[in-house]
Amino acid sequence: MTTAANSNLAACHLCCKLAPAEVHHCPRCGSAMHVRKNDSIQRTLALLFTACLLYIPANIYPIMYTDQLGTTEPSTILGGVILLINLGSIPVALVIFVFSVLVPSGKLMAMFYLVWTVERHSPLDPRQRSVMYRVTEFIGKWSMVDVFVVAILVALVHLGGLLVIRPGVAALCFAGVVIVTMIAAESFDSRLIWDNMEDKNSDDTTS
Amino acid sequence: MTTQQADIGQGRKLSGIWIIPILALVLGVYMVIHNWMTEGPEIKIAFSTADGLEAGKTKVKYRNVEMGLVEEVHLNDDFDGVIATVKLDRQALQLLRDDTRFWVVTARVGVGSISGLDTLLSGAYIQMAPGLGTEGQREFVALEQPPLTPEGAPGLRLRLISQRASSVSAGDAVLYSGYKVGRVESMTFDPSDRKVHYTMFIDAPYHELVDSETRFWDVSGISLSAGANGFKMETGSMDTVLLGGVAFGLPPGMPKGEPVEHNTEFEMYASYEDILKNPYRYGTHYVISFSQSVKGLLPGAPVEYRGITLGRVKRMLLKESIESNIDEGRGGEGADIPVLIYLEPGRLELPDSQSSLDSLYNSIRLGVKNGLRASLETGSLLTGAKYVNIDYFQGVEAAAVGSRFDYPTIPAVETGLGQVEQKLNALLDKFNQLPLEDAVGGANTAIATLNQTLGSLDTIIANQSTQKLPEELDRTLQELRATLKGFSPDSEVYQSISSSLLRLNRTLGNMESLTRTLSGQPNAVFLPSSPTPDPIPEVKQ
Repeated sequence: MTTAANSNLAACHLCCKLAPAEVHHCPRCGSAMHVRKNDSIQRTLALLFTACLLYIPANIYPIMYTDQLGTTEPSTILGGVILLINLGSIPVALVIFVFSVLVPSGKLMAMFYLVWTVERHSPLDPRQRSVMYRVTEFIGKWSMVDVFVVAILVALVHLGGLLVIRPGVAALCFAGVVIVTMIAAESFDSRLIWDNMEDKNSDDTTS
Repeated sequence: MTTQQADIGQGRKLSGIWIIPILALVLGVYMVIHNWMTEGPEIKIAFSTADGLEAGKTKVKYRNVEMGLVEEVHLNDDFDGVIATVKLDRQALQLLRDDTRFWVVTARVGVGSISGLDTLLSGAYIQMAPGLGTEGQREFVALEQPPLTPEGAPGLRLRLISQRASSVSAGDAVLYSGYKVGRVESMTFDPSDRKVHYTMFIDAPYHELVDSETRFWDVSGISLSAGANGFKMETGSMDTVLLGGVAFGLPPGMPKGEPVEHNTEFEMYASYEDILKNPYRYGTHYVISFSQSVKGLLPGAPVEYRGITLGRVKRMLLKESIESNIDEGRGGEGADIPVLIYLEPGRLELPDSQSSLDSLYNSIRLGVKNGLRASLETGSLLTGAKYVNIDYFQGVEAAAVGSRFDYPTIPAVETGLGQVEQKLNALLDKFNQLPLEDAVGGANTAIATLNQTLGSLDTIIANQSTQKLPEELDRTLQELRATLKGFSPDSEVYQSISSSLLRLNRTLGNMESLTRTLSGQPNAVFLPSSPTPDPIPEVKQ
């Protein structure tokens, strides 16, 4: 199969124009050009590690404090979920659980899996992995819902001494997790998934 | 192709992007270390109930600074209390000493004060009062009531024992001359000794007013008394009228005592009058066994030494006496009555101390050897009330201070009516011993002889010559009168005698002048006398 890489062509990151790989700048828009994204695996890995580190305080520390009549009540993400379940709001609890717990952790695992398979030149179905990557990339930003909820609550609920909501350290960490994983997903070059196959195919064809 | 492969190999060198996870890691490690460094101790506080305690909400405060948070509240293993696990700040580490105290602060509305209103909105919190003991304690028992005095405050903490609860309660004022110098901290009733135990705190510098002779009394409420000079009402301050309080001071005339230590125990008197009645704290018991009737001797009767009250009668040890008699197999016949008396050396102006009791014992022991005895005396003839008198008696049997029912004894003598009765008995005994039979027999014979004599006298009187005797006597007297008549002033004999005497007088007068002449001139009998010249008084040179 003929690919751009095979034909020694590189695509511009910005305007997607194909140009010879020797040319380091896009002849059309002038931005940098590479055959594959620079240090894609390393960057992704580094950002994934960062996200992992941030994910720990995001879950341990309270995401927000509720000052109600002088009593400060801290609540963590999981604590909030459990509280909602106890209060009977199972759908809301489910939404928060999915977007605040399942999605970020699932995304991290998926990205690690992808990086690992690419590094190992895994022969597993590249199509499936590509779909996985696309879903991960798409759904990742929805994790910010939790952060936005906190931000909106903090901004809106400010009833003097009666009820005040303050953001916790976890909100910052959680936002960091979401942003860093998004960047990680962005810096992962999905073409690497297919490169293995291409290499094998070309090996098969050459041999 | 091969160059491309080499390119991938070049791409394996470390990218600068790794700074981000390293930065995150460093930040994370810093947070962990910081957290670990600032992590305070975890302590367990035992409460009787979890009233007001809420895991994750209830704070621990010291001087209104948050020092920690209750993390967990659960029942203890015996299900009779609650254990709160509290996470404290690191700075609380030095405040956790073995006498650090914790208590729950909630809104309290008392008669005298309202406190903790802020907890109505914020919820209860645990107050912490660091102690002065050794550090390192991690398990505490919370106080049921907030302490009224902070630990380490200058002053004096004392204990009071009262027979009855009265109206003094925790938080009440302690007064000296009507001025508030401290407060009652706690009040507990101990069923084992059936007394009410108070602790109180006297603030510095007033704690110097308390010494070993100080008496405490209840000044709660109003004391009203009616006497010959009208009604008398005594009250403390308005606070004590409404809330109760404790006053202290020295009884009148009492010398100052020694300074006292922390937690010294004092007895609380019911009123000031009570102190005036019983101003002494040290006393000792003695037993006096009376073998006479103790009718009229009541508990509380005075025990006097020559009119000076030494103490009072406590009670009759009848139960002990009967029991010991039964034990010793003795019957009740002739059993004496042991009387327990209470002597206070302070009444003799001895210092009110333990050593005075010993010196009193020694002086009684010596006195008994020299005849010191106790006796029952009638104090009031009207009511028949008796008192115990201790005095020296002459001619008593030798005795010594013994011991009975674990009390020292003072030997007794019988006095008063008892003594009179005894002497009368002795007198009657002597009468009984007199030989009255013989005496009466002798008298009978004497009377018979007398009868005989009288009979013979009758015969003498009946004789005729005896009956003529008055007649003869009469005649003799008439003759005597006639004889005397001859010598009356009208008779001749009397006249001649008086003229003879007159003549004799004249002769004697002549004789007088003769003898005078003769003594001046003895030869005058023979020679004529020359007239003597008139004497001339000599002139003094």
